[in-house]
Amino acid sequence: MTAGQVALVATLALPALGAAAVALVPARADRAGRVLGTVFAALALVASLLIYRPDGGWFGYAPANRASAVRPWHELDLTWVPGLELRFHLGVDGISYPLVVLTTLLTLLCCAYTVGRSPGARPGRTLVALLLVIEVGVLGTFLALDLVLFFLFFEVVLLPMYAVIAGWGGDDPRAEAGAHRAAARKFVLYTLFGSVLMLVGVFTVVAAAGTADIVALTGGAGLSRPVQLAAFALLAIAFAVKSPLWPLHTWLPDAHTQAPTVGSVMLAGVLLKMGTYGLIRVAVGVAPEGARWAAPVLGVLAVAAIIVGALVCLAQTELKRLIAYSSVGHMGFVLLGVATLTATGLQAALIGNIAHGVITGLLFFLAGAIKDRFHTGALDDLGGLRERMPALSGLLGYAAIASLGLPGLAGFWGEAFAVVAALRRGGPLWTTLAVIAAVGGALTAAYFLRLLRRVTHGPASPVVAGAGGAPIAGVELAAWAPLVVLALAVGLVPTLVLGLAQGPVGALVEAVR
Amino acid sequence: MSLSAWVPIVGLLVLGALFSLFSVAIAPIVGPKRYNRAKLEAYECGIEPTPQPIGGGRFPIKFYLTAMLFIIFDIEVIFLYPWAVSFNALGLFGFVEMLLFIGTVFIAYAYVWRRGGLDWD
Amino acid sequence: MTEIGLPPINYGAITPMLILFGASCVGVFVEAFVPKAQRHLVQLVLSLGAITAALVTVVWQADTRTVTAGGAIAIDGPTLFLQGAILVLGVVSILLIGERSLERGGPFVAQAAIVVGSDADRNQTVRQPGATDIYPLSLFALTGMLLFVAANDLLTMFIGLEVLSLPLYLMCALARRRRLLSQEAALKYFMLGAYASAFFLFGLALVYGFTAGTPSGSGDNGGGVDFATIAAAVRNSEVSPALLYAGIALIAVGLLFKAAAAPFHVWTPDVYQGAPTPVTGFMAACTKVAAFGALLRVLHVAFGGASWAYTPVLGAVAALTMLVGAVLAVTQTDIKRLLAYSSVANAGYLLVGALAVNKQGLASTMFYLVAYGFTVLAGFAVVTLVRDADGEATHLSRWAGLGRRSPLFAGVFTFILLAFAGIPVTSGFTSKFAVFGAASGAGHTWLVVVGVLSSMILAFPYLRVVVMMWLSEPGESTPSVLVPGGLTAAALTIGVAATLVLGVAPESLLDLTNRAAEFVP
Repeated sequence: MTAGQVALVATLALPALGAAAVALVPARADRAGRVLGTVFAALALVASLLIYRPDGGWFGYAPANRASAVRPWHELDLTWVPGLELRFHLGVDGISYPLVVLTTLLTLLCCAYTVGRSPGARPGRTLVALLLVIEVGVLGTFLALDLVLFFLFFEVVLLPMYAVIAGWGGDDPRAEAGAHRAAARKFVLYTLFGSVLMLVGVFTVVAAAGTADIVALTGGAGLSRPVQLAAFALLAIAFAVKSPLWPLHTWLPDAHTQAPTVGSVMLAGVLLKMGTYGLIRVAVGVAPEGARWAAPVLGVLAVAAIIVGALVCLAQTELKRLIAYSSVGHMGFVLLGVATLTATGLQAALIGNIAHGVITGLLFFLAGAIKDRFHTGALDDLGGLRERMPALSGLLGYAAIASLGLPGLAGFWGEAFAVVAALRRGGPLWTTLAVIAAVGGALTAAYFLRLLRRVTHGPASPVVAGAGGAPIAGVELAAWAPLVVLALAVGLVPTLVLGLAQGPVGALVEAVR
Repeated sequence: MSLSAWVPIVGLLVLGALFSLFSVAIAPIVGPKRYNRAKLEAYECGIEPTPQPIGGGRFPIKFYLTAMLFIIFDIEVIFLYPWAVSFNALGLFGFVEMLLFIGTVFIAYAYVWRRGGLDWD
Repeated sequence: MTEIGLPPINYGAITPMLILFGASCVGVFVEAFVPKAQRHLVQLVLSLGAITAALVTVVWQADTRTVTAGGAIAIDGPTLFLQGAILVLGVVSILLIGERSLERGGPFVAQAAIVVGSDADRNQTVRQPGATDIYPLSLFALTGMLLFVAANDLLTMFIGLEVLSLPLYLMCALARRRRLLSQEAALKYFMLGAYASAFFLFGLALVYGFTAGTPSGSGDNGGGVDFATIAAAVRNSEVSPALLYAGIALIAVGLLFKAAAAPFHVWTPDVYQGAPTPVTGFMAACTKVAAFGALLRVLHVAFGGASWAYTPVLGAVAALTMLVGAVLAVTQTDIKRLLAYSSVANAGYLLVGALAVNKQGLASTMFYLVAYGFTVLAGFAVVTLVRDADGEATHLSRWAGLGRRSPLFAGVFTFILLAFAGIPVTSGFTSKFAVFGAASGAGHTWLVVVGVLSSMILAFPYLRVVVMMWLSEPGESTPSVLVPGGLTAAALTIGVAATLVLGVAPESLLDLTNRAAEFVP
């Protein structure tokens, strides 16, 4: 085993071990359990950073005879259940690496946040254990190079997330009792629907190709056109539910509104990425002909998502719900990038993914902080936050501006390049889509400014003036600071992400063409 | 083989059905009607039935047990008879098989006996 | 007088059946002659010993591939694998049946003939130890199951069917508590079962008629009901196949009844609910293996040549079974009924695998049978533990908050339910994946679609139970979870361990099924 393979396995094994260890901590040592989980999350982050291969390049490592478009930096290929075409095949390349680091980072931040702020009635160590299990599933999804293994990890995420929403959610006293259960159920219903379609898609591909190896399958692997169309349709719907793509997005606002703060952060920052990553790596990679066939539909839906998300946001009256709907719009940009099937578009999608994870994660943390202090998320009740808590409002303003795509911050690159990619694609359809998407970008600015006007500016509302408004705690700052820095760093130096992804995306586009 | 060979059998079936239907239908019309109490009683092997509530009432389960034991031995005898007829052709193997069969029935018999199935009360 | 030719019999190959049959006869003797106080121990040891001995002989026979007893019995890979599966699951079931520490006298009634509700009945409910007739009955049923999966002609199969069914009807009626429910279940099962047997017989007769003119195993041209003759007739016969189709349909009705496939499933919830829980587990695990073992052999060996004719119809049955089981499971409020409908749905998944008439389909179905058997036994083992003063508390509302009362058993049951739902890292996932993969490979994509959709529906009732156990507050009426006695603990451990192992490292069993998946011609 090379050092890279060890790091690869450690990234996946550390959170799993951590979850098991935290689950065994007795109830009286709740805080110690949370700290233990955070330590494991930190170790996982370190392991994921060690995966990086600065010198390897994307062509240097791969064996010369390998013609595939996927050239992992590190690879681990073990037989697990050959009878089911299931191999324990892990690998990481420039497409998945940023997402892996994002996942380990956000999980660490969420765990640390939980150490500082106990989540109320239910035991915090269990929440930490569930977060770590979610991390295992997400990391496995990003690292898997076997279709069946990919599906397996994809499924692992489902139940812990359900438990997080149903068990720790619903802290809003004004929501009717059981709303968080309903939201959790809706989340499971949608996701299960997606995964069964995905399972059928996986069966279709594996039965037709005789292998489940993503490396071998990328580029079509000689699958016939009908098989590719069927497989892409099934897989794309599955990933569209997860992303979520309009009109399959309706689970998202409920789940976000009801989930606890860390649940929202994980959901927006990490879980949604599984959908877009799967779309790029699996759906487009395995069934390129299907992707070309469905690209216009995908593009139209993506643009619809941008517009619908923005319009709904303009009418929202609840903070977390608004941020949730903004995710629909942002994911629309990402999917528009994917739909163009060009190198620029895919790059835009990847950096959009990362930016959305960082910025929306930060936004949900801030929204959670506001709800913690004023026990309401209604925009009508909030107002004038600037007077009571200038630092918090400043951060909210920063995050909102980053999210609306101000140049120089992370949100800009994904949205701008998605529009550019659509324009470059040419033709009346794509030009129209690009124009509408650009309008959607302007609407994004409109609703975020509306949000800022309602929440931070103006005279202090009775709720804001009356409540204690505790100052920002150290743990909160610790959780937010990395995201603030990253949002700026990715915005100023987009090659952090783009440089990594350039090679693999180019290879993928070559293979897909 | 043509279908016409089956016609007599069908004819016989039809005749049989007609006859039985006819008999059942004609009896209440032409027969004398002399009701008495005994004719309305349940038939119990010709003995005077014990008083029962309307609708039959319940019989002791012991009757059923006896009936089932009878059936078991009945079947055993039916099975023994053709075996005895072709005893020579079946030889030693047939003999052993029959012993095993009787032995199996005997096990059930022993069970019934020990568990009190043969005691009337 | 002409000598009657006797078929040679390979006694080695049928030793497992002979051992079990002998042991059940001895068991009847034990009932007759051993004093009441010692019967339970003697019977338990005898049953476990006999099943183990039979299992050893099955393993010892592992390489036998033969047709014996005049073509009536085929000992081949699937037979031996399924016999082994039935015996292993049988051991676990006997462990559950033998548990006496959960309730005074065990889960079975002392004297089944005593009128329900009488003084004598109340007396026996609280005081008397349960009858031990259940052991020879289980052994008889197991004998029938071994014969059922080995039968190589329809008549032998019918005898196997009856030998396995009759003891099961009786076993259903032996519950210590809720005896009327139990007796009703037994009567219902008996009536419908007898009806199904009649269907099977009628189908047998029609198939026999169809084979007329085909040279049979015994050399004449009179046709026959052994599978080789039927298979030859299916391939070569020039007469109209109407008789054959009607025969297949009727035989399938008989077999699908035992397998609890819709629309022949209506007995399942009532019988599963009414029967004593260990017996329910026995039926859900062992009977299912036997029924599908026979169905596989009939579909693959006898009627394999007509698979294009029966696949659409049986495919519709499979789809209906999955949907009916899944949808009705959602509405259940009793844990045993819920598991019954889940068993119906699982019959549908098994049928999906069985309809893939190739080696992969055969292997995956056999794998599914074993995996499901262990999980369902563990599930019913947990059901026997959740009790209050009136016996088992099976109503779902009573399970609310169980996670607080007993995190360990709630956790174990959660794991089992997740396995039923087909979540990865449990045997439920690997087995579903295997059968759907086989069906997909055989071109039955639409069945796979229905299968995954129904398993999505089916995940809901399971999740509901999980949520109830963990996220509800325990109320006044939340029953306690008893500490299991050694036997139940052993059964539970085996079931859960198998569920986990077959989910994480299924390769050895998959490999075994692959090597076993070939019928002798």
